[in-house]
Amino acid sequence: MISAVALTLIYGLSRFPNFAHAEFMALGAYMGYFVAEQLGLGFPSSFVAAFLASGALGVISYKAVFQPLANRGATIIHLMIASIALGFVVRHSIGAIWNWAPLSFSLAWSSFDVGMVRVSGIWLWLILAALVLGGIMHLVLVRTKIGKAIRATSGNPELALSSGININRVTLTTWFIGAALAGIAGLFRAAGTRLSPLLGWDILLPTFAVTILGGIGSFYGAIGAAFIIGLVENVGVVILARLGLSTEYRMAIAFVILILTLLIRPQGLTRLFRGT
Amino acid sequence: MDPLIYILDIIVFIGIFAIVALSLNLEYGFTGLGNFGKVAFFLIGAYTYALLIEAGIHFIPCIIIAALVAGLIGSLISLPALRLREDYLAIVTLAFGEIIRIVVKAEHGLAYGVWGMTVPPAIFWQGASFRMTLVAHIGLVFVCLLVCFIFVQLVTNSPYGRVIRAIREDEVAAATFGKSRLKYKAQVFAMGSAIAGIGGALFAQYIGFIEPYMFMPMLTFTVWIMVLVGGPANNWGTLVGATLVQLFSRGAKIMKDYLVVPFDPTDLQYILLGLLIIFILLYRPGGIFKERPVKTKALERVSQWKERS
Amino acid sequence: MEGTLLKIEDITKSFGGLHAVDGVSIDVNAESIVGLVGPNGSGKTTLFNVIFGLQKADHGHVYFNNKRIDHLAPHRVFTRGMVNSFQFPRLFYQLTTLDNMLLAARGHRGDSLINSLFLRKGWQYQEDELTQKALEILELLELAHLTLAPAGELSGGQRKLLEIGRALMADPVLLLLDEPAAGVNPVLGRKIFEKIEHFRQRGMSFFIIEHRLEILTEFADWIYVMDKGKVVIEGEPEKVVNSPVFYNVYMGER
Repeated sequence: MISAVALTLIYGLSRFPNFAHAEFMALGAYMGYFVAEQLGLGFPSSFVAAFLASGALGVISYKAVFQPLANRGATIIHLMIASIALGFVVRHSIGAIWNWAPLSFSLAWSSFDVGMVRVSGIWLWLILAALVLGGIMHLVLVRTKIGKAIRATSGNPELALSSGININRVTLTTWFIGAALAGIAGLFRAAGTRLSPLLGWDILLPTFAVTILGGIGSFYGAIGAAFIIGLVENVGVVILARLGLSTEYRMAIAFVILILTLLIRPQGLTRLFRGT
Repeated sequence: MDPLIYILDIIVFIGIFAIVALSLNLEYGFTGLGNFGKVAFFLIGAYTYALLIEAGIHFIPCIIIAALVAGLIGSLISLPALRLREDYLAIVTLAFGEIIRIVVKAEHGLAYGVWGMTVPPAIFWQGASFRMTLVAHIGLVFVCLLVCFIFVQLVTNSPYGRVIRAIREDEVAAATFGKSRLKYKAQVFAMGSAIAGIGGALFAQYIGFIEPYMFMPMLTFTVWIMVLVGGPANNWGTLVGATLVQLFSRGAKIMKDYLVVPFDPTDLQYILLGLLIIFILLYRPGGIFKERPVKTKALERVSQWKERS
Repeated sequence: MEGTLLKIEDITKSFGGLHAVDGVSIDVNAESIVGLVGPNGSGKTTLFNVIFGLQKADHGHVYFNNKRIDHLAPHRVFTRGMVNSFQFPRLFYQLTTLDNMLLAARGHRGDSLINSLFLRKGWQYQEDELTQKALEILELLELAHLTLAPAGELSGGQRKLLEIGRALMADPVLLLLDEPAAGVNPVLGRKIFEKIEHFRQRGMSFFIIEHRLEILTEFADWIYVMDKGKVVIEGEPEKVVNSPVFYNVYMGER
């Protein structure tokens, strides 16, 4: 969910699907690992590391790659491909430095049962963090000046420009926040499962599904969509098991939702959230 | 490994990928369709071929049927998908590719799922050495490549080719002058899918064993790079692009096998590849070869007229 | 051909609460030149878009040759005989001038896939003929020397001329022109309208948006004036231009 919110911000603003988003997540995770494990500074500091490192990567990516391309009149497809290429660079740099074997955080997460479902401690942390971050983002977007600027630019760039908003700064900030959040998302994923350079890609397409269902650029839409898709996926798995179909299809569920959304209602759930 | 065999292997791969790249060039280079699900049709071609061969059918009809099936499925998904704007189309095709792969992986009854399928070689005769079968395969691949190339050249250097380029440039203007956007896009998509299917069939044929993990989105991206590097809308450029990209990736593997370096060259390869693409997109988005104008009889008339005045 | 060629009946089109076109009704007779004038933002181009199917009206109908066309896609409207041109030329910039012209031709057999591939003789002859026709039109517009140049290399004025040229290439029954003389020097602008008159005498009809009132008054048979989405006055050019309503519309803008 965090990942989707991040993506929706960037996608909404810069209007192209950024496949390097996966790598923003991966970098965050790895920086976190680096800080926590290899430097021995413990888990909380990995948050900060992930946030900053990914955020930085986001800004660098924008300034070095996407902004110049956009200035040269690159099409959406060019930007997409550039983001994929960027993904290669980052992913394989990570692979080169840390090796491709999956790593684990050396934290034991306690598990306990909630009703019929076994819940791992990390999930609780994740939900908590998601709520906190969501809350913070909400406040930022609604209360702060920069937040309002972001929302304005997302909706109508020309109008925002003529209102005196510094588009460049807004864009940089958006990229930073988006990428930084992605980094946190990556960190959580790694902590909950395992850490590998392919981390980002595993969740990338489902992230896109959530982003699109929620409506590109719609913050609240992304949140809502995340719940919906998460729910559908988990319910779907149960249904699939009942029907005797393979659980491989779990991944396909998100994709199918993605395709259906784009075909039937490309704006996703945006209209349902007035005043966003 | 015998160097000659290795070189021949590279050549076959270049041939197969050139076919797929040509199909993407038709879709993207000439018509502006951002198809990110190429691998799906490659997969469909490969698996259709494998299943048919298993059923005992001779390989030539297998290739043809594989192409037709891929083309048919292509036209089916094109009808809803092509109405989308370019980035949505890209995402949808990408998702489609993954779904197809998951279906094959999951449905063990369909095509052996994760365990993969073996494909017996098509051209095989008594006493044939490994080398000779290899050469025969190369022959097969390149005959198909030639056919596909001629086909694509004919299509793009005709009034039809002019129309699809117009659609690429400004589809609203094209519609304003009577060209039905959906019809042309759907046709191109079907043709592109069919040609990719041929590539897939040849792939299955050559490798001898296919399984779902061979058909990842990475393959689609590789083909895209071939088209972009060679120059979109230039079929010769696509051939060159396919050759260069294949050589590049093979080159890295050779380094890996024969040189001792402190890091995994595969990683370096991808890093360089990524940087190269970004570089090309920034400084030479037109690729190596530029688009050539539509070549028809019209040009003759123009030069006649020029002589007169 | 007699009678009302194009009948626009009570068309309304809004964008989020703003009525770009508000209950507009217009008749264009066969073999006539009808002008449409009005200040910027009065809805003229939107009206054209609706007529040609590029946008859907919220309300109202459009009839061409007594048949409804408002629900048709643009490429179908084209087949009925109407041709649209754009104020800011929408050419195919990577293609040559000649290609741009050839693409406008009606009923080119080579447009079909099967024909392009297999029945080559059929369309090759057509290519030849059409190229001849294109060259004639290009000569008329003084663009012939740029036949093989990519359209992207043409200057602004040349692009406008090409836009008109390809519209003519399409053998229209009714041609919609959006400011054909804008951006070209007055002498050439006049020549364009003289050509328009010349084609009108050969049976073509024109519905023209134009700002240059002097030219329009000289060549148009009938003028409609739009302001803020409505038709405020219509009639013979002389009368319209001298009426107080007209004065208000334009003085209000200045």
